[in-house]
Amino acid sequence: MEIEFGIEDLAKYPFLREAGDYVKELDLSIEDLIQEDYRPAIEKAKKRVLEAIQKNFISSEISEADLEILSFPLALMLVKAIGIDYFMYRYSLAESLRAERLLEREKEPIIFHIFKSAFNVEAISIEHSVFDFKVNIVEYLKRATNFHKPEWKLINRVVEKGFVYLKTHELVRLIREEIRKMIYGRMKSLSLPKMPDKLKEVMVEISNALPPMSSKELQSVTPGNFPPCVTHVLDLLQKGKNVPHYGRFLLTSYLIGIGKSVDDVIGIYPKSPDFSERLTRYQVEHIAGMRGGRRRYKVPSCRTVITHSLCFKDKVLCAKIKSPLQFGREPIAPKRKATRSRKP
Amino acid sequence: MNGKTMAFLGQVFRDFYYKNAERISAPIRMNEREFGYMSFNKVMVRHLSFQKEGELRVFLIKEAPHSVYYSCAYYHEPTLAMEEKGWKGADLIFDIDADAIPTDCKEEHNNWVCKDCSLMGKGKRLEKCPKCGGMRIDEENWVCPLCLEATKSEAIKLIDFLLEDFGIQKKSIKVYFSGSRGYHVTVEESSFEGLDQMARNELSDYVSGVGLSLESLGFSKGVSYESMYGLLPLTKDPGWRGRIARFFSEMEFEDYDSTGKDNRDKILYIYGKKGYKGFVDLVNMIVKKLSAKIDVMVTTDIHRIFRLFNTLHGSTGMIKKECDDLIPFDPLTDAVVLGEEPIQVFVNHSPKFTLKRNLFGPYKSEKVTLPLMVAVYLMGKGAARLVDYE
Repeated sequence: MEIEFGIEDLAKYPFLREAGDYVKELDLSIEDLIQEDYRPAIEKAKKRVLEAIQKNFISSEISEADLEILSFPLALMLVKAIGIDYFMYRYSLAESLRAERLLEREKEPIIFHIFKSAFNVEAISIEHSVFDFKVNIVEYLKRATNFHKPEWKLINRVVEKGFVYLKTHELVRLIREEIRKMIYGRMKSLSLPKMPDKLKEVMVEISNALPPMSSKELQSVTPGNFPPCVTHVLDLLQKGKNVPHYGRFLLTSYLIGIGKSVDDVIGIYPKSPDFSERLTRYQVEHIAGMRGGRRRYKVPSCRTVITHSLCFKDKVLCAKIKSPLQFGREPIAPKRKATRSRKP
Repeated sequence: MNGKTMAFLGQVFRDFYYKNAERISAPIRMNEREFGYMSFNKVMVRHLSFQKEGELRVFLIKEAPHSVYYSCAYYHEPTLAMEEKGWKGADLIFDIDADAIPTDCKEEHNNWVCKDCSLMGKGKRLEKCPKCGGMRIDEENWVCPLCLEATKSEAIKLIDFLLEDFGIQKKSIKVYFSGSRGYHVTVEESSFEGLDQMARNELSDYVSGVGLSLESLGFSKGVSYESMYGLLPLTKDPGWRGRIARFFSEMEFEDYDSTGKDNRDKILYIYGKKGYKGFVDLVNMIVKKLSAKIDVMVTTDIHRIFRLFNTLHGSTGMIKKECDDLIPFDPLTDAVVLGEEPIQVFVNHSPKFTLKRNLFGPYKSEKVTLPLMVAVYLMGKGAARLVDYE
């Protein structure tokens, strides 16, 4: 069944490809967007970001559909420009919660279409006294193993001829995490245009209104600034090569140590077919001190990294460090010392 | 197993593969799978790969191994180390083993032997030797038509779950007698192929009845009968709800007269009579009865290797055999492929056992002349050795 989304639908679900196409067709440049006509869209985007990060909630009320649609990519741009992973996570989560609330009240053909085109899940509506949809058992299992409550266990579902029966809110819950990941992924891969001053002003307004973050959370370390031992592990992972257990530990504890979120760390592991997000999440959360003994594991010292044959020392940059965490910070320290020594 | 016995078995196996090479067929997508084998001196070799059926046949004749295995998994590079193979997917496989199914016959044909003082006894393995107190106790498990039939019943229950609940096509399901004590049920070329360990765990929990909550059947503690009634399972319901409803509907309960009532009335009646705790115990018993007793570890292992079908099992001399029709399949006849020429062996001990519809044994420390298939069966199990021809 082919269905056409109306502009109202796109405003409800601005993360859809169709909404992106709608924006593209408007053919607006960033210079156009800062004109007075679009001020309400920018205001709306600002509201989206602030609500999301401060309250973990984005209003699902829609006053003007086209402004609503436009405010979404603008909001993505603003969050990305702030450059803090944690905020990207919060924002994508709030957007997915907003979508969940709207989808729970949505018409069945729209739900079918959204799930099919965005997530390749066929949610077939059924005539049943209790359930509203059925989904293929394999599609169900791929997602439901992330939930821990007994009602998500396959044995506690009604399963018939390869389909699992679900109520609308259960179906939407099953997919919500994917909506979050989709939005988060979109932000991650977004290449920012040069920001006009007007948008920079909005960014400052947003930044001022956001909760203060510790210096560690604000610290932005890009792969290029990673120490060679961590870069080496990352390189192996990306090439799909075998990474020794300790290498994974080094990478994870290092990324957690520089303030990356658990989601960011998981995102770094390549999605090979036997990659289990749940297992990886468990291990990463363990290292981050969110599980087990609730103790955050320290990044191994350079000496330990050498013991595990994982050190690929850079003669200059690693010369004076004792922990991979000190990599890239070293040049600052001697300068300070030098300044001090020149006094008296 | 002594060297001469090993050499003899190797020769028997080689002869079999030489004369029956055309019986050996490649599994689908052979070149994406890992192969492995175990020699008669119990050395395991893994990470092999075959490109053509012919290569596999030549290999079997040349090596005449104790056991040959192939992976349920498909890899980019099957010969590399496990982490480097590049997992693409795996068949969904269930294993049902006679040892895991409680049957009375085991008291008759299973033995334990103390490795310290050689004391032997019948039945299940003891924790501690009653004579010397030693803890090193070996178990010697045998099979008989009774326990293999019970194993088959579990396979039949499993197949019902696969067809009715999981919606797997009949043509994708292959059932094999393992060549020794059980059945392998294999699902090939299905959408289940890409599922990870955790998803497979859900499937195995489903068929083995693990984690079923009373709430999913409509029961909640402290809720009135009226509110529960509409949530209780009906016999026509799919899945576990229907299975349990049908069991209740068919079970006899005291003097309950079901005329003119539906199965929900009966469930509530029994619930009322038994009380919550008694009812929970009853449901648990029903679940145990209706579930399929599979080996959960096997289904969730996405890198496991399994015996290759149509090859000989080194511990029995029988083959892993596909059962086209499971109901009439008689493993102790249909999987016996070796000949009947007389072979003299010295049997340490063996209970009574059946092979090709003939009864043999019991034997104890005696020299006997037996048909080849029986001699190999006993030697493979380590219960006999070849008698020297001098």
